[in-house]
Amino acid sequence: MKRNSLIVIVGAILVIIFAFWLCAFQVRTTEVAVVTTFGKATHPITEPGLKFKWPPPIQRVYRFDQRIQSSEFENKFREDLTADNNPLLTSVYIGWRISQPDVFLQRFPNGISEAEPQLAKLVSSTKSAVVGHHPLSDFVSANEGGSKFSAIEDEILAAVDEKLTNNNYGLEIKFLRFKKIGLPEATTEKVFARMTSERNVLISRAQNEGEAAAKNIRSDAELRASKILSAAQGEALRIQGQGEAEASKYLGVFQQEPQLASFLFRLDALQDSLKEKSTLIFDQQTGPFTLFGSDVMTNLLSK
Amino acid sequence: MNEDHSHPHGDHEHPHPPEMPADSGSQALTEALRSSFNIVRLVMFVLVVVFFVHGIFQVKPNERAIILHFGKPRGEGTQALLGPGLHWSYPYPIDEVEKVSVTGVQKVESTVGWYATTREQELAGTEPPAGNTLNPALDGYTITADANIIHVRSTLTYHVVDPVQYVFGFVAASNIVQDALNNAIVYASANFKVDDILTKDKAGFQAAIEKRAIELLDKENVGVAVDQCDVQTTWPRQQNVKTAFAAVLSAQLDRDRLLQDASTYTNQVLTAAVASSNSIVNLAEAQRVQYVSDISSRATNFLSILPWYRTNANLFVQQRFNETMGRVLTNLQEKIYVPERLDGKTRELRLLLNSEPPKPSTATTNQ
Repeated sequence: MKRNSLIVIVGAILVIIFAFWLCAFQVRTTEVAVVTTFGKATHPITEPGLKFKWPPPIQRVYRFDQRIQSSEFENKFREDLTADNNPLLTSVYIGWRISQPDVFLQRFPNGISEAEPQLAKLVSSTKSAVVGHHPLSDFVSANEGGSKFSAIEDEILAAVDEKLTNNNYGLEIKFLRFKKIGLPEATTEKVFARMTSERNVLISRAQNEGEAAAKNIRSDAELRASKILSAAQGEALRIQGQGEAEASKYLGVFQQEPQLASFLFRLDALQDSLKEKSTLIFDQQTGPFTLFGSDVMTNLLSK
Repeated sequence: MNEDHSHPHGDHEHPHPPEMPADSGSQALTEALRSSFNIVRLVMFVLVVVFFVHGIFQVKPNERAIILHFGKPRGEGTQALLGPGLHWSYPYPIDEVEKVSVTGVQKVESTVGWYATTREQELAGTEPPAGNTLNPALDGYTITADANIIHVRSTLTYHVVDPVQYVFGFVAASNIVQDALNNAIVYASANFKVDDILTKDKAGFQAAIEKRAIELLDKENVGVAVDQCDVQTTWPRQQNVKTAFAAVLSAQLDRDRLLQDASTYTNQVLTAAVASSNSIVNLAEAQRVQYVSDISSRATNFLSILPWYRTNANLFVQQRFNETMGRVLTNLQEKIYVPERLDGKTRELRLLLNSEPPKPSTATTNQ
């Protein structure tokens, strides 16, 4: 009895485990899954957790990675013509993931490795079309507001997204951006030639600019210096005038006896002008030499 | 242990013996079964202990862990993160533990924009020979806003801030970071002119790359924070282009030196002008003061001698004049007296003037 019940319990547990193994399955948080009933995709599962199904061969489960894939299939440059007929090499990177596992399974029974080449083709052709709508200046531009770089990326993304939805890929594209932008090899040589001549222009401009600007700076300095000096001279004149104005209030004093004042001033002037290195020639009319020839002394002595 | 355990079992099984054969063989079998049952119980006990102990796991300080319960994270978003310490989970396949490094700083290097070179060549400081063209399959480069070709490369360091997103959101998150950096290089180049990138606005260019990379990583919700973004740029290595670029730099240096000289000259000239203007004004001021005080003292003097003059004007004038003449004549170097001719005719006098007055002798007399 006891042994039998033990066997029954163990057996029951084994049966439950076996049933679990057949019917239950986990979907990890990184996965999406789809349950097929007799080979037909019936239940897409996009939420992680413990799930149940009928045992095979009734139902089977297919799991896919639902994380964002960053496939490197666009690693090669592709040459397209821009709207203004310039050849332009571009390569983009994309982030995509499986959004509808049931649709995806129907379309790509072999999974991601089958989907990638098709997606690559689709992205490539869409990109060519979009690049063909834009002139080169939309990609690189020194104008105000910069290039329309991001706008072009968004345009390609929208176009790819539309095609994915219309064609039932079961994929969604999260982002698409340029990875490289280049020019055909032959064009690079021309670009180098143009760059070199641009540099030469800059060289001569720098030389001319330098001389001209230096000359300007110098003459400007001289002009400013002479302005400062003339302003100073003007100021000096003003001060002189001020001095004369101040002096004029003493005129009243001299006015009392103008003849005396004039005499005194002349005496001072005489004294000042004959200070040094002067030779003076007199006749006997000038005092005190009147003493020499005249009869002043005789007059005085006779008194 | 076994002895203690055997007692309750013994009591329990007492009612049964009548049904069992009482021979010694079957008794031995019973004993054997009983002891093996005990062993099974011990094994089960050990298994239970192992079960619980095995579920314990450790999270290191620079790690976070997430328990996936039947594949689903326990908790929402960042709440699902377990910090450093000991934790417990059911064994696989019920629970699964994912550990993520968070403080570890990670680094990616851009893969576009730089010419073909190898690490060995870089360490040795040598460069592969540059042809006349750039092969798009081998040589990376970017195109600037003014359609010049330059080389740019960048290193981006970042750390994970949202491990759930970083690990469970992307197949290869570091590739996404790298491509965001690549895009940022191409994007920033397309918006900057070559001279700004290489010389005038290096910092602005670097900031633009960093800004774009951060923007993209935020938009794509990669769950990382950018720590640093180093950018290196250079002009093309093609011989003519290289020489031309270097020549522009040296021409600009020359120009700057000329301008520098000119501004030094300006400073000198202006300083001199200001100094002499100051001295002109000061001199004028001094002269004014002197003039005014001179007049003032003359006026005072005039007032003091006025009464004397009024007393006898003639005598006063004579006295003053002669006194002054006396003083003047003392100072004079040469005095020539020409008496009147006795016949009253005009005397003719001829002077031979030296263009240059004799110096040494006058100097002494002047003192």
